[in-house]
Amino acid sequence: MTRRELWTPNRRDLLRMLGVGGAAVGASSLLAACGLGTGGGGPATDNGAAEVTGGFDWRKAEGTEISVLQTPHPYQVAFQPLLAEFTELTGITVKADLVAEADYFTRLNTELASGAGNYDAFMTGAYFIWTYGPPGWMEDLKPWLQNTSATNPDYDFEDIYEGLRRSTSWDFQVGSPLGTGGQWAIPWGFETNVLCYNKTEFDRRGIRPAETFDDLIQLATDLTDRANNKYGIAFRGSRSWATIHPGFMTQFTREGCKDYEKQGDQLQAIMNSPQAVDFTRKWVELARAGGPTSWTNYEYPDCTGDLGAGTAMMVYDADSATYPQNIAGNSAQAGNLAWHPGPAGPDGSYGTNLWTWSLAMNSASSKKLAAWLFIQWATGKDAQTKAVQTGQAGFADPTRQSVFDGAFKQTLGNFPGYQETFEKVIGSTDIKFTPQTQFFETTEEWAVALQDIYAGQDAKTRLDALAAANTTAVNRAS
Amino acid sequence: MTTTAPPRTPAPAVRREPRPVPAWRRGLRPYVLSIPAVLIIVGILYPFVLGAYYAFLNYAAVVRRPVFIGLQNFAEILSDPAFWTSVRVTLLYAVAATVVETVLGVGIALLLNRSSLIGRIFERVLILPLMIAPVIAGVIWSLMFNPQYGVLNYVLGLGSTFDWLGEGTAIWSAILVDVWIFTPFVAILVLAGIRSLPKEPFEASAVDGASWFYMFRRLMLPMMWPYILVAVIFRFMDCLKIFDHVFVLTAGGPGDATRTLQIGAYQNSIIQLQYSQGSTYMFLLWAIVFLTARYLVSVLGKAQRRAAGSEE
Repeated sequence: MTRRELWTPNRRDLLRMLGVGGAAVGASSLLAACGLGTGGGGPATDNGAAEVTGGFDWRKAEGTEISVLQTPHPYQVAFQPLLAEFTELTGITVKADLVAEADYFTRLNTELASGAGNYDAFMTGAYFIWTYGPPGWMEDLKPWLQNTSATNPDYDFEDIYEGLRRSTSWDFQVGSPLGTGGQWAIPWGFETNVLCYNKTEFDRRGIRPAETFDDLIQLATDLTDRANNKYGIAFRGSRSWATIHPGFMTQFTREGCKDYEKQGDQLQAIMNSPQAVDFTRKWVELARAGGPTSWTNYEYPDCTGDLGAGTAMMVYDADSATYPQNIAGNSAQAGNLAWHPGPAGPDGSYGTNLWTWSLAMNSASSKKLAAWLFIQWATGKDAQTKAVQTGQAGFADPTRQSVFDGAFKQTLGNFPGYQETFEKVIGSTDIKFTPQTQFFETTEEWAVALQDIYAGQDAKTRLDALAAANTTAVNRAS
Repeated sequence: MTTTAPPRTPAPAVRREPRPVPAWRRGLRPYVLSIPAVLIIVGILYPFVLGAYYAFLNYAAVVRRPVFIGLQNFAEILSDPAFWTSVRVTLLYAVAATVVETVLGVGIALLLNRSSLIGRIFERVLILPLMIAPVIAGVIWSLMFNPQYGVLNYVLGLGSTFDWLGEGTAIWSAILVDVWIFTPFVAILVLAGIRSLPKEPFEASAVDGASWFYMFRRLMLPMMWPYILVAVIFRFMDCLKIFDHVFVLTAGGPGDATRTLQIGAYQNSIIQLQYSQGSTYMFLLWAIVFLTARYLVSVLGKAQRRAAGSEE
């Protein structure tokens, strides 16, 4: 072979290779990052409850170490010091891995999709069950609850608020309501979406929280003084599904609107009904006239931060998110805040959407009994009572009625209207969304539609387009 | 009497036989030489091919057994207006950021080329934005952009009335942050190029009485053009893949105003758990980056030959 026959790259070839190689490297890593493990996620395994027999004993899994994936939320912070007591009670060691909330579900998705079973139990929200459940990533806890060998006779599952129990249970069938099928998680802490306001400022002006939605718009507008950096009401507006679920979904429901209805064996999006269009138009008007200037970027820490700083006069969001702002030393307005259910609907409804941090079991876990004992302990009366009594960051709200009526009320202190608001809405508090497996895609698109309407698009036209797209998405063959 | 020493004949060089290479080392050599190729295959080609393969499946979190669906993902995405909005946003971002950074970077490099105390100090300070991770820069700027408590509206006397991250402003604010981070990169690259230019042509022109502008246009610019192009290639390709600080600032909003292709892929894959749709986004982005890189590298080759005088 002569030298001429050998390919010798010249400088231009090298440059070209470098450029093209660089492009490939840059894109390929992310291209691969889009796929997680091998197709289909982990295989569903048999439920482990039937393997537990004999009498109930906390020490049945003594000597086991379990791994729990958690995010550093006040619930987790309140429970962390109590883990030693759990180990003492059961002989089980808990290794808790903490991931910041912003990255938490990305990490959890990856973990569950891999089917590796590295974590035996994990924190989750109820909406995530609709995605994690169908592929078989979660253990159905109903057989565990029903097995007297695995569950303490004093556990009293019915003590957990009914709306919460229903919100974490579904049969994964299109159009089926919540509360059907398996129990995929046990509620651990939760929040109702209500109004928190600056009572000191309201008292100074001699005004009261609004009782109707139209009055709320007027009140927020009147309280807005942009020249002095004050505005009426903060609520979420960022490009995320989380924009829809707190104040928006609560008031949407109270005004008599629905997201989907079942037609035959399919779901039809109806967030473009005349009532919904009218409400959405008003909600966006509320954001423009009385909301934060940069509403389309607002998430709950921005809202509660503005309330605590005295910039926002009201917040329509989770009660547990506004609660810490009233604890001395946490904000400039600590001690000045009060709570109100928010405007009732035209029929007097106080229907309220909830969020619950729950504990669930990984179906790929090899230590299911130990994981169940941990979940049972953490959601039980004794541990929750201690967390309420000792949690420095505040444990609002406990999921058990006995704990709310007992330890929580005793430790509540100077939180005007908090208890009254809670008691007014709790009976009609549950998840107001129609359960469906494409929740995150369709609900984020809903938030995008709100932003588009805020930017000036016609509400009716935009919501018609959203409903058409979401109807297709929710009925997409899986 | 003098004596003449007989010329010394150099001792014959002892030719040392190369030590025989042990057989085990000879046997190992092909494997050692193939390590880079293996690394490329494992680290780059395998994930790339796997990601491309996913683009032809219906792989999603809720799909238990993904199946091959041919070009359906491509057909869906290419007929989705949101994808074309992402293409438009990505190209606008890449072109605008690259142009501004190049113009400013070249200008700063020319200023720094003049030796002065301020220039020397500035040269060292200039690199600071590059030391900040783009995600952190995004967080810092999002705080500064906030109309309620951000420093920008306060300093500019805008009260809380101006929204830097609104429908019409968000993309330009994101570009502003990019310019802040990466203009020093262009300036430093071009400055290094300027300092490597030969002095003779400039001295000869000065003797002939050429003006500064004439020398810049006829001598300096053609000679430093390859360096500028290298900076442009780096920045343009990087901007096509932009994600970090834009996501921190706006998450792609308001609406789809800042939803670049990378953000679209992230939202599909990680938020909505539609892995195949996300892979398709990335495959299409890869095609765009690949074709752009090929074109820009060919332009760079031409510019280098022209600067070397081997091509008119």
